[in-house]
Formats: sequence, C-alpha cells, structure tokens
Amino acid sequence: MEQIVLDNVVKEYIVAKKKKGMLGALANLFHSEKIRVEAVKGISCRIEKGEIVGYIGPNGAGKSTTIKMMSGIMHPTSGNILINGMSPQKRRKEVVKHLGVVFGQRTQLYWDLRLGETFELLKRIYRLPDGQYNGTLEELRAVLGLDEFMDIPVRQLSLGQRMRGELAAAMLHEPEILFLDEPTIGLDIDAKQAIRDFILEMNRRKKTTVILTSHDLEDVMKLCTRLIVINKGIIVEDGPISEIVSRMATYRMLVLEVAEPVQSIACDKVEIMKIEGRKVWCKFDHHAYTAAEIIHALGQELKIVDLSVREPDVEDAITNIYHSA
Amino acid sequence: MLKAVKHYLEVLRYSAVIGLKCEMEYLSYTLCWLLMIPIQIFSGVYVLKVIMDRIGTLNGWSFGQVAFLYGLGVFSHGLQDLFFIQTRHIEYSVIRGEFDRFLVRPLGVFFQFCIGTVNLVGIYDLIPGAIIFAYGCVQVNFQWSIPNILMLIMVVIGGTLIQAAIYTLTGSVAFWTKKSSVFVGVNLQLFDKTTQWPMSIYPNWFIRIFSFLIPMGFVSFYPACGLLGISSGVSFPLPLEIPLWTPLVGLAWFLLARRFFYLGLEKKYESAGS
Repeated sequence: MEQIVLDNVVKEYIVAKKKKGMLGALANLFHSEKIRVEAVKGISCRIEKGEIVGYIGPNGAGKSTTIKMMSGIMHPTSGNILINGMSPQKRRKEVVKHLGVVFGQRTQLYWDLRLGETFELLKRIYRLPDGQYNGTLEELRAVLGLDEFMDIPVRQLSLGQRMRGELAAAMLHEPEILFLDEPTIGLDIDAKQAIRDFILEMNRRKKTTVILTSHDLEDVMKLCTRLIVINKGIIVEDGPISEIVSRMATYRMLVLEVAEPVQSIACDKVEIMKIEGRKVWCKFDHHAYTAAEIIHALGQELKIVDLSVREPDVEDAITNIYHSA
Repeated sequence: MLKAVKHYLEVLRYSAVIGLKCEMEYLSYTLCWLLMIPIQIFSGVYVLKVIMDRIGTLNGWSFGQVAFLYGLGVFSHGLQDLFFIQTRHIEYSVIRGEFDRFLVRPLGVFFQFCIGTVNLVGIYDLIPGAIIFAYGCVQVNFQWSIPNILMLIMVVIGGTLIQAAIYTLTGSVAFWTKKSSVFVGVNLQLFDKTTQWPMSIYPNWFIRIFSFLIPMGFVSFYPACGLLGISSGVSFPLPLEIPLWTPLVGLAWFLLARRFFYLGLEKKYESAGS
C-alpha cells in the first residue's frame, strides 16, 4: 500500500537580497530586491508501508524542507502530498495522529520536567487509553533503556539520553510513519547504535514506515533498504541502496606493495592515485575488468609483494552523486 | 463536540499541573515574584490614593470606586498572564521555529501554544488584585446578588479575552515582520493607563480610540461604570455601560485575533533551520 505520495512538490522561498554597507542598509529600508529561491523543485516519489527510506543529500539540498512539508509544518508552493491518502496541510490533525517526528536539533520535551511527565502530557494529547499507553511505555522503556533516567529533569540528561527520550516521545502513540531528521547528530557510537537498534526493532515489530535523514552514512547503510538522494532540490537517485552503490561507485581501489620503488606504471587498465616509495594506490573500473585480470596485467611489469582490494562503499557512491549533480 | 471540549480541558488540566511542577523547580524565583508583584500593584494604587487625597474625587469617581475599577482590571490582567502569557512571545516562537512541534500534534496550534506555559505568576497578580477589589467593594457597598456575581464573572472573562486578543493581534505581526516584541511594552502601558484609571479623565478622542478602535475601555471602565451606576460620559447610540458588552466584545476580538494568528501561521510561517 502506498502510504506516502509526493507529486511534483515545489517549495519556493522569497529571500530579500540585502545590499552591503551602511548606505546599502539605508537603501534596503526603501527597497530590497526579492529573489525567489526554490528549495524543492518538483519532487515526486512513493513510499510503501513498512519501508525504511534513507533520505539524504548535502546541507541545504531540501531534505528538512521536504520532511516539514510531509509532516504538515510547511505548505508546498505547488504539487500534492498525500499521507495515508490525506493532505497533511488540509487535514493536519487527522494526518499527524499517525505521524511521529523527531528533529535531532530540536527538542519536544519539557526542559524542567522528568521524561515521564512529558509522556503523561502526550498521553492526553493523543488520547491514549491507559492500557495501550502503559503497554507501549513498558516496551519503549525496555528497548531504549529509559529506566536509568526517567526521573531526571530533561535539562540534566546527556544528549544520548535525551535523544532516546525524544524517540520514545515520538513513538508513544504508535505512529504508522516515523520521520527522523538527523536523529544521531552529535551522538557517540554506543548511543548511535542504540538508536539504530531501536529503529529496526520498531520497524520489525510494528511495520513502522521510517523516513530518515542523516549525514552519517553508516546510519543509512545499517538501516535503510532504499535510498532517495536529493541535491539542489531535485531527486537525483531513488532505488535500492545496493543498486545505487554498485552503479555510482564504479571503481575499486587496489593497494599494491612492490619489491622495488616505481615511478610510473604503463598498464592502461588502472588509474594511479598515489605512489609512495614501494606502495602504490590505483583504482580500476570493476564493471570493465575483474580484479584477477588487473593483477595479472600488473604482474607483467611489477614484482608484487602484497596487495589488497577495497570494495566501493556508499560513501564513494554518495560523493559521486553529490558532485555529479 | 462535547468529547472535543473534554479532550482540550483534560490537556489544559495536565498542562496546569506541569506549570505548577515547573514553578516548583524554581522556588526562589517564585518568591521573588511573590514579593515583586504586590509592591508593583499596591504602589500603583497608592499613587492614585495620594493624588485623590489632594483632589477629593477623580472626575466624579471616589477612591472606593476607582479601587473597584482597578481591581477589576488586575483580575483580567492576571488571568491573561495565567493562560495567555505566550501571546506576548509570538515573535520568539516565529524566529525560533517553535511552532513546528505544535503543528505535528493533533490539537489546535493556538491552544497548544497558549497552554504550553500555564504561567502561575498570573495567580500572584490575582491576590493583591482581590485585596484592592474587596476594599473597593466595601467602600462602594457593592451588592453581591446572583446577577451581579454572574455579571462580574462574565466581565472578567471578557476582559481576559480582550487582553489576550490584543497581545495576539500585535504579536502575530511577527509572522510578516519577524519582529513584534516592541508592541508588548506599549500594550502593557496602555492597559495600565486604560484599565486602572477611569477613562473619563481623558479627552473624548482618546476615549473613542480606546473604545472603538482598540477595545481597552471594555476591560474595566465601561463595566465598572455599569456595575457602579456611573455614567461613562461617552455619547453613543447604544448605552456602553452595559457589562454584557465586555464578554461580547471580548469573544469577537478574541476570535478575530485567533483568525489573524492562523492567517500568519498558514501563509507566512517558515519554520527555521534544519
């Protein structure tokens, strides 16, 4: 079932271009040039129930803007958004009942209260029956390990603890869709791992659809099966992660250790990246040649002592996509 | 409909509990307010008393009558502080993108915004307000009949709505300009000058502006005139001294202000950052 549908969604901002200097500041009082900036330039996609989608792109690509439009915070300039068949702008209250939203850079917890008190308020806002509330909370406490800090005021929590609290607050009403905007920003390895485990667990148990933005590609690799890449307001890639990686990261890296120092290599099947004494780094197109062919060819002119081959990874793929767009 | 009202009331009740708990986190701060507010309110009355001792009456108003009016003004100010303090901080929330979190929850944004802080300082206003009002009641020999009590309640609710509406209208300008806090100080001053002094001491054009353009006169001046049987001195086809005007004017302005807030939120709100 298609749970999220975006059709040709555009978001325009009007930005006033300010003139520089004191004279410019005076001139701005009377007239400043207005420029239209298209943060999102007509994107379309469809997301099924239960998918975990990595929504990635460089800073300012339009990720957060899209998430804010999908969650009813902002209105698109044109185009259509449907969540469960309803527009989050026209029927906001009905749509957001089934959404959970976490912004890594913002908090929705009460600064001076214990976590438990924020949960009690949310219970009333979402009108959760006692049984359901207690059951979900019990589950969240166990999976997120909330017990160790349930009774500490939120302002005294560490970032990792707070983020676990945020996730619990977003999941309390068992939303069908979870929007996570950089949920692991600034967290240490353990905290990141806890959050990843949690997301997978919720997806497995409740079939929660997850839309995740992150600059940490490990999050994306460990969690997502599908990747949507946005750059400069346009979706440039959309598909299974493995497919994108193998298509976009066409090169494998070969690191050689040779018996005698070399200056250059004649073989035209590889591209030399770096030579340091007896160590040579070169890359080759793994769609054109196999590693064995390359090693054989290089073996003709070099005395290879040791070698290793590095697989292309998502980081290479993403770097390629960002730069080619 | 009834279910929805119950839902909102339950959220309001728990928000008040949270407000109380937050307040108790900073007990010394509370004590400061408890010291500050009575000084502020009683000194305001004291200035009036000193002036009136010299001149006898203020445009025909005795000190007891002025105290009655003053107390009435403080009541709606306090209730506005208690439930609508956030309407003074719309600018901050616009710039910081604070409306995001309300927009992703299945309740009215304006409601969530207002009750996000149930500000108990408002209650501390009510205590000195009640003392002054009680003094005024004794002096003017106010009749505590059922209709009078009901009218008082309606007037206080109406006055609270008028105050909340004016803060909301001026605060919502921030959706367009990003800045609106300049109005907060002006509003506070204007409310002081129009709700704690009988407006009949001012020239006619001033009274008309603050009755028909900005409805501050309906917070305490006109209803006090009505309840105390004093003429407002304002010539108008309808008698303005009927206390029931206050809840009607309050409700109308409050709905208008709420509409204006939503207009800004829907047309101009841009959230903030990532």
